[in-house]
Amino acid sequence: MPVVHYFWILVGLPVVGALVCALLRAPRAVLTALIAMAAVETAVGALLVKGVFSGAQESVAWGWFYLDALSAYHLAILLLVYLLSTVYAAGYFRHELATGLLRPGQIRRFGILWCGALAAMALVLISNNIGAMWIGMEATTLMTAFLICVHRTAASLEAMWKYLLMCSVGVACAFMGTLLAVAATRGLPLSGSDVMLWTQMRAAATQMNLPLLKLAFLFLFVGYGTKAGLAPLHNWLPDAHSQAPAPVSALFSGFMLNTAFYCILRYVAIIEAATGGSGWSLHLLQFFGLISIVVATAFILFQEDVKRLLAYHSVEHLGIISLGVGLGGIGVFAALFHVFNHSLCKTLAFFSAGRIGQIYGTHAMDRIRGTLKAHPVWGIGLFGSFLALIGVAPFALFMSELQIIFAAMDGRAYVALALFLAGTGAIFMGALKHAMAMAWGEPEHPTPAPAAGITDVILVAGSLGILLAVGLWMPEWYRSLLLRAAHIVEGKI
Amino acid sequence: MGLDTLFVFLVLTSLILLGSSLLSSSIRVVALQGAVLSFLPFLVMEPGWAGRAVFLAALTMALKGIVFPTLLNRSLREANVRREMAPLVGYSLSLALGIALLILAFWLAGRLHGIGVGLSTLSLAAAFFMMFTGLFLIIARRKALTQVLGFLVLENGIYSFGLTVVGHIHWLVELGVLLDVFVAVFIMGIAIDHISREFDHINVDQLDQLKG
Amino acid sequence: MNAIPWIHMVVALVLAPLLLGVINRTKARVAGRDGAPLLQLYFDLWKLLRKGAVYSRTTTWVFRAGPLIGLAAVLGALLLTPFGKSAAPLRFDGDLILFAYWLGLMRFVTVLAALDTGSSFEGMGASREVFFSALAEPAFLLGLLGLARVTDAISLSTILPGVTAANWLSAGPALALIAAAWLVILLAENARIPVDDPNTHLELTMIHEVMVLDHGGPDLGLILYGAALKLWVMGALLVSLLTPVRYGVVWQDALVFLGGMLILAVGIGLIESAMARLRLTRVPQLLMGALALAALALMLTMK
Repeated sequence: MPVVHYFWILVGLPVVGALVCALLRAPRAVLTALIAMAAVETAVGALLVKGVFSGAQESVAWGWFYLDALSAYHLAILLLVYLLSTVYAAGYFRHELATGLLRPGQIRRFGILWCGALAAMALVLISNNIGAMWIGMEATTLMTAFLICVHRTAASLEAMWKYLLMCSVGVACAFMGTLLAVAATRGLPLSGSDVMLWTQMRAAATQMNLPLLKLAFLFLFVGYGTKAGLAPLHNWLPDAHSQAPAPVSALFSGFMLNTAFYCILRYVAIIEAATGGSGWSLHLLQFFGLISIVVATAFILFQEDVKRLLAYHSVEHLGIISLGVGLGGIGVFAALFHVFNHSLCKTLAFFSAGRIGQIYGTHAMDRIRGTLKAHPVWGIGLFGSFLALIGVAPFALFMSELQIIFAAMDGRAYVALALFLAGTGAIFMGALKHAMAMAWGEPEHPTPAPAAGITDVILVAGSLGILLAVGLWMPEWYRSLLLRAAHIVEGKI
Repeated sequence: MGLDTLFVFLVLTSLILLGSSLLSSSIRVVALQGAVLSFLPFLVMEPGWAGRAVFLAALTMALKGIVFPTLLNRSLREANVRREMAPLVGYSLSLALGIALLILAFWLAGRLHGIGVGLSTLSLAAAFFMMFTGLFLIIARRKALTQVLGFLVLENGIYSFGLTVVGHIHWLVELGVLLDVFVAVFIMGIAIDHISREFDHINVDQLDQLKG
Repeated sequence: MNAIPWIHMVVALVLAPLLLGVINRTKARVAGRDGAPLLQLYFDLWKLLRKGAVYSRTTTWVFRAGPLIGLAAVLGALLLTPFGKSAAPLRFDGDLILFAYWLGLMRFVTVLAALDTGSSFEGMGASREVFFSALAEPAFLLGLLGLARVTDAISLSTILPGVTAANWLSAGPALALIAAAWLVILLAENARIPVDDPNTHLELTMIHEVMVLDHGGPDLGLILYGAALKLWVMGALLVSLLTPVRYGVVWQDALVFLGGMLILAVGIGLIESAMARLRLTRVPQLLMGALALAALALMLTMK
């Protein structure tokens, strides 16, 4: 099949899935349809990225579609996280339906929005047109806003409103930046619609109007940074993550934040090529990455709700990724590695937190005790993911954070190094305390936990296993993929 | 001169919004701003694009002048509020800050126009001022409805900037802004409905349960 | 020396009280009444000048000097005001600053005299007056600066006659904004609705009226005449901004100017009939709006 069909399927299949969900009556049918759609989508995506992953092709392109090492990598992570979340959602919502927390109509609405969110995120990743990238980001904001308030409570509506307003303003800001970026291409010998293609802009980067391009980057950084959860524009994050149902939180942290950061990376590539690698944009990324880490540290130490805690961890890790890219050199490689590690780990963490919350009926950490005894599978999932998140060796996050430390020492960024170590150290102690308290002890109200299904075991064991494996040994194809992606970001390719 | 008058009018409507407390008249002012803005394509488009200008103007007028005010007025009726009482930043101070923002907008416009962007300093300044006013309304007001109006004004500013700076790129400005505003306001309208039904008010500063 | 400007000044001195008569007549006619005679203020002034005065024991020479210095200040401003498109008796570069300061001096001594009485009502009026003028004066000055830039001159007698139809065509929006700002300031500074009600009898709602509550007899006459002159002076500026025609022939220009003043007086009367007085907390917003208009006009002229 010609490659263009794969692209169209990638974007079109979720839309078809949404329509199907709208027509189905029974919630079980909706959830099964979602899993089927996610599986097919993953298969198509795998076929698409295969060539780029193996290094056989530099990129796959057709018209406005484009897939190079950077976007192929992100697409693979998206599909993995999405598939896992969909499988998890089936179990999660089945339990909620059984206990009467959700009505069937709400499951249908969830299905439609869930498919729409995938279509939007896929659009961002596979488009060469910066306008289409922006449309995808806008669409994710609108779809996910109503995913947050699936449970119609006062707190979730508040979270939804904050999210909708802040991210709409952010996306509007990003649109302004897109306009300015296009304005910076005046005078270039590019025809009308070509001017908005990222590849063309990248090729002509040195001839673009530099002051306009820099102003454009400022707007884009603020705009997409709001969606990525970089401080100080992260205020919507804890509320949205804590109020949304667990599969939605997993998708948010596991992928949506990275989509926004991916857009920033695309523009970093252009700016770095245009300024000849002077690092102007990298300094910005470094600075705000550090601020995110510091702010997240402050809030993590005083958290009481487990999902809010995980949300602040997301802010911290996005900050680490931003810091990594900002340090340049091996930092970019480490940051991209960290993207995968964080996505997988955070997804598992939210899965665990969600299920544990369902079992205990609360998300308050001081009321959750003895998870290892009450429900071994998810208890291990929760504890294991916490350990991985705070950077315990030999999980993969430890490796990527270590590489960032090397990058900081290489670049002689000692202040950054000090802040990074202080922040992660404080978080290590604070979060470990919470994790141990939740894992051990006696469960207060021993509820008869549902037996662990095979899917639960696969989700937990598989994720932890991958994190361990990648931490210990990085396959060669993976390393070369990351190197190519890092070169793209630094403007060297 | 006609172009100048149009931009001055846009700035004036933004100033009025900064000092206005009655929600229904604020909606009217934003609708008026949108209606005036819909004439902009005719004044900036090159002669060969009459068709595109007509399409844009008609679409903008229909959306910003008719559809949005209707939706917002419906939300206003269902939320049962009339005035923005005691905003976070008082009205006199809002106007004073508005003057400061106007100076900032003109300065920024002067710098950009100096490197050859945009039709004139006034056109850029009007666009920036609308963006600043929109952001200000979102930050400094309590009612969710006023925040949506602020978002609309922000979008008006971005639209006018896009049209005068990169209007020659087909479909960029149209698609971006109209998609953004249409869907966002539609969804925000729904969101406000949910909020007012659940909470019995639309004071966003009372949505403060989630802290820390 | 050219006698024409001095003749114009005498005409202004004579006709100023008539403006108030026209305003009151308009208001009465709109309300369906016949109203007081057009020359009512002249009769009032004549009556007041023949009365004796009573001075409170708490007042000092400041109280007695207030009306006198106020009248002298506004006469100084009148010396600088062009009569329509004709030059003023006194003109030099930068006289617009002196003009603003003459009016400021008049306000200052009125406020001092009010504070001198030691009465709380007058103190309240004085503080309101000063607060509002703190917002109105910058707007007035910014408008003058904008006009100076448009006509490229810095003397009132060159600026205002220099506002021609060509200026209106090229800088129309800026001039319209300045005219709007000046109209609001005219209403504010001269104690007209919607800022202040000249007919109110409640001290708590007064602004200008309350400051002159304790003056009587000739002092009150001087104050009333000074207020009429102030209205004339500010109105003259507004009218010659709004009439962009200049014939160059003395009596034609004078006729156009007097016609404009008449229309302005009727206009003020109509505004007063159509609007109610604004709540006191809304007046600063109105003046801020005028300031914003003037600032915008100035920035437009700086392109």
